Amino acid sequence: MTILNITYNGYSADYPLDGDVRLADADVRRIAVEVVRAGGVRGLHVPELPENAFDHFVIDRFDEGARIYIRPKVPFG
Amino acid sequence: MRIVFCGVGAVGSTAAMFCRNLPATLAFVDFDRVESKNLLAQAYTKPSLGKNKAEALKAQLLSFWGVKSEAFGVRVGKDNVEALCAPADLVVDAFDNLASRVVLSDFARAANKPLVHAAISGDGTFGLVRWDERFAPDAEDHAGQATCEGGEHLPMLGALGSALARVIQDFVKDGKRRDVMVSLSSVTTT
Repeated sequence: MTILNITYNGYSADYPLDGDVRLADADVRRIAVEVVRAGGVRGLHVPELPENAFDHFVIDRFDEGARIYIRPKVPFG
Repeated sequence: MRIVFCGVGAVGSTAAMFCRNLPATLAFVDFDRVESKNLLAQAYTKPSLGKNKAEALKAQLLSFWGVKSEAFGVRVGKDNVEALCAPADLVVDAFDNLASRVVLSDFARAANKPLVHAAISGDGTFGLVRWDERFAPDAEDHAGQATCEGGEHLPMLGALGSALARVIQDFVKDGKRRDVMVSLSSVTTT
């Protein structure tokens, strides 16, 4: 199982993806928009989330792709 | 053990305060000076206004808690990174720009030096602490992007600085290299 962690507007939660999926970055962004709109991510329900909400977000992949993170850029310190 | 903090702005200065208990020599590197706008987002007090940040942090640690440290009021670049960081047992990156982070990563990877990064989003809602082997620096969305000064995000800066300090403490204690994500709702080891 692949876990997609979505961070948006200061909140972060996991969303399990069925099967052994290999997702392109565009797929990750599209899925993130859909599940946040649908309320499928605990604590992250934004029905009117814009289509481009994650366009400038960073996608990190760890554990050989078993964990995927989509998060805001962090340029500052 | 010697720990070199590169960049002691919002996150670096906060983390350094929480590292004052460590059995280590703390060294601070920052070319910038304390401005009034920094007082609500960084660990500096009013008497430090106008002083170099590294020197000010050194003075505050000594006067508040009697902790001795070292200060280098210079900008880190390719020409001096080895002199500043080679003596370190741990390098901490809390810079606020991609170019300086790359300088540190290039050095650390060539010298096999432990390096941990801390970074925060421009809107102050999300931050992370990540070891260099799993870190890629992010660029600003646009030059001159607004940062979290002014105090609105002070609790988040405290949480991220504290998380960074905890990661440093774990490394000093037993060499563990934990990554952490900090959001408004949680602090999560990843």
